Amino acid sequence: MNFILTSRNIKKSFGSTHALRDVSLNISKSERIAILGANGAGKSTLMKVFSGVVQADSGSMELNQQFYNPKTPYEAISQGVSTVYQEPFFFPHLSVLENLLLGKRMPSKKGLLNSKDLIYKASELISKVALDSKILNKKMGSLSLAEQQLILIARAVEQNTTLLILDEPTSILTGTESERLFNIVNKLASSGTSVCYITHRFDELEKVANRFIVMRDGEISGDINEANRDKILDMMGTKESFDILNTSNSKLNSKKPSNKDGARILSISNLTSNEKFEDITFDVKLGQVVGIYGLIGSGRTEIAKSIFGELPINTGTIKYKEKLFNPKSGKNSIKNGITYLPEDRKTQGIFQFLSIRKNISISILSIISSFGVIKSYSEKKMSQDAVIKYSIKTNDIENIITSLSGGNQQKTLFSRLLTSKPDLLILDEPTRGIDVKTKFEIHDKILEIAADNTAILLITSELPELLYLSDEVHILRQGKIVSSYSKQDLNEKNILSSATGI
Amino acid sequence: MKSYPSITNKKTIVILKKIQVYSLPILLIVALALFTSLSPFFFTATNLTNIAINSVDLALVAAGLTLIILMGGIDVSTGFAVGLTAWFVGTLLNNDLDPYLVLLIALLIGSFIGVINGSLTIFFGIPSIVATLGMAAIFQTLLFIFWDSTDLFSDPVLPFLSGSGTLLGIPTLIWLTIVIYSSLHLILSKTKFGRNIYAIGSNLEAARLIGIKIEKTRIVVSVILGCMVGLAGCTYLGRVGVVQAYSGNELTLLAIASVVVGGTSILGGEGSILRTLGGVAFIMVLNNGIVISGVPSIWNGLVIGSIILFAVSLNGLVVILERKRL
Repeated sequence: MNFILTSRNIKKSFGSTHALRDVSLNISKSERIAILGANGAGKSTLMKVFSGVVQADSGSMELNQQFYNPKTPYEAISQGVSTVYQEPFFFPHLSVLENLLLGKRMPSKKGLLNSKDLIYKASELISKVALDSKILNKKMGSLSLAEQQLILIARAVEQNTTLLILDEPTSILTGTESERLFNIVNKLASSGTSVCYITHRFDELEKVANRFIVMRDGEISGDINEANRDKILDMMGTKESFDILNTSNSKLNSKKPSNKDGARILSISNLTSNEKFEDITFDVKLGQVVGIYGLIGSGRTEIAKSIFGELPINTGTIKYKEKLFNPKSGKNSIKNGITYLPEDRKTQGIFQFLSIRKNISISILSIISSFGVIKSYSEKKMSQDAVIKYSIKTNDIENIITSLSGGNQQKTLFSRLLTSKPDLLILDEPTRGIDVKTKFEIHDKILEIAADNTAILLITSELPELLYLSDEVHILRQGKIVSSYSKQDLNEKNILSSATGI
Repeated sequence: MKSYPSITNKKTIVILKKIQVYSLPILLIVALALFTSLSPFFFTATNLTNIAINSVDLALVAAGLTLIILMGGIDVSTGFAVGLTAWFVGTLLNNDLDPYLVLLIALLIGSFIGVINGSLTIFFGIPSIVATLGMAAIFQTLLFIFWDSTDLFSDPVLPFLSGSGTLLGIPTLIWLTIVIYSSLHLILSKTKFGRNIYAIGSNLEAARLIGIKIEKTRIVVSVILGCMVGLAGCTYLGRVGVVQAYSGNELTLLAIASVVVGGTSILGGEGSILRTLGGVAFIMVLNNGIVISGVPSIWNGLVIGSIILFAVSLNGLVVILERKRL
């Protein structure tokens, strides 16, 4: 049997944590492999060993029957192993065109770059991910996360790739974009590239893979050829979440009754922001979860940021607690009891050099200090309480925040927002890139907070999450609300057809 | 099939971090031992007290600068700002102004400089290195014009701001350093304001989104540095007694050196002011030791420059390796 990649007895530890215990994995040509497992199971580390981001402590690899030991991502890429990371890496100050073509062989005439050819080549590339060529001249940094992700995929697949590694590429994509991605991936596989696909989304398994590798505690705990969810969850060792997932379909419909009686806290009328969204009208009541759903570029994040005071509003009114409210700045909104969980944990959420304690207490320092001096006892106690209440997995609140897994970092951010007891909570992709188990924990927390008479505005691109949590959903298309559903009319089909306009 | 050797970044990081923490005390002890063996005049009470007194301007500036660097900024105008303040202080004293009023004016000049530096970064979005570089050029020119080829001689502002004042047998300048460092240490470790400084240096965007008053914090920190500069102008005059065209200019580099040798990250968010004091001690011991052991003082710059690069490289290396680990 000819494998394109063989790996034997790969071991890797970080400190006292064994990220990979003894992993051997062989990949054949054209195989589409889904890599599954809870956070911390070792999926990402294994992929990072393949792609040269980290080096194994011991073990060996062969690529196309040649000894393979990439010391840097560059070495891996030049030998045919390309990766698209979950957190998009790119050059924000350069245009999309430049981002696409950097480091590639440029079409040139007598050594001079020919911009016509460049644009032609780039248009061809992005047409593969079904983006419009108008986007080429925009700065990469001005695009939405999902557009950026698609550009990076376009960039990766163009290279002469033996193995394409995708680390949760759909965690920030909505339905249509995901479909687009699956098509690209499947086309690639049929033309001879093998694909490793890390995912937490069980709804997309069949669409992306024909082999399913499950990891648990740094080892491969299962390797099957059918998307048998029961088996997979069993091998993931997360029985608990399996039960939740299993019941989630029935739970979707039978979940707590929609809260219709809460007092109206937020009332948006005809809100318009030039070129971002227009004529947005909806209410949020205390104790209610209002979901906003839409495809990339539909304006959902922009609406949230405008209400929070981070983006300007051109016309329309916001009434908050029955009074006209002018969101001047995030600072001002926080003072009025509105808090915001940003979509990008790493660049907008955590303080990476500070301890867990300091990361939690930062939002309520004025409450736990007198005359500007922090009461260290109160601070320790409230952080300790938060760690217990939100089941943040750590043995010491003095540990630096980056010692936590992504899911636990997110729980830390939740506890930070909630210790200030907001009246209105705006959540932007609250479970992006988080393992199933932690995801459910966070879902339960969100419902608990709502039941505690807090109003929640939820922006998510994950349909099951939207369906499970929301009492009411507004669907956006090209900056406008095209339809609204209350709890009883919510279903996947309605939402997708409204969002896509099909 | 070959097995490749184990490359353990984590061990390297642990070792580098240890080097970062322990290199300063070790370097300090090595320097003390070296100079003691080179010169009989080095390790004496008189000389050590001398070093401490001569350190005070640097210590004050480095203290204020630590706050700026923790917040993710930098200031490369401090040296000439000290010289300029010293010139104003001397001139006012020579015009028989009340010394307490002069001290107040020195602090006001410093604060004014701080407000300008802070505003340039906040309201015009100029990176602090560029803003303060421009200010440094202006201060340097102003001092040169005011100096006008005539050295300005002056008495100390007040006895306690001179090298000869003592309290309980200890020079008042040493007391001043102790008071300033303990207060700033308490502010950084115990107050909301201090915590906000670390937060801003650690992640500016996150700090903004949770409602930290970034502009206000930045201005206040700039003003604190400004006050330190104003005070340093007074102690400089009190120690040296004369202001010349280039008075104070060496403080710019030495202050940055003290902060980074102390182990505060040049990228912001991590560090401590007490370690800056260690950095100041090390650099002043080096300065003094090189001269006292008869090495031409021209080598001073080479040594200081190398040490800054060593400290910053160490910091950078840890950052690079940790990034690889994640």
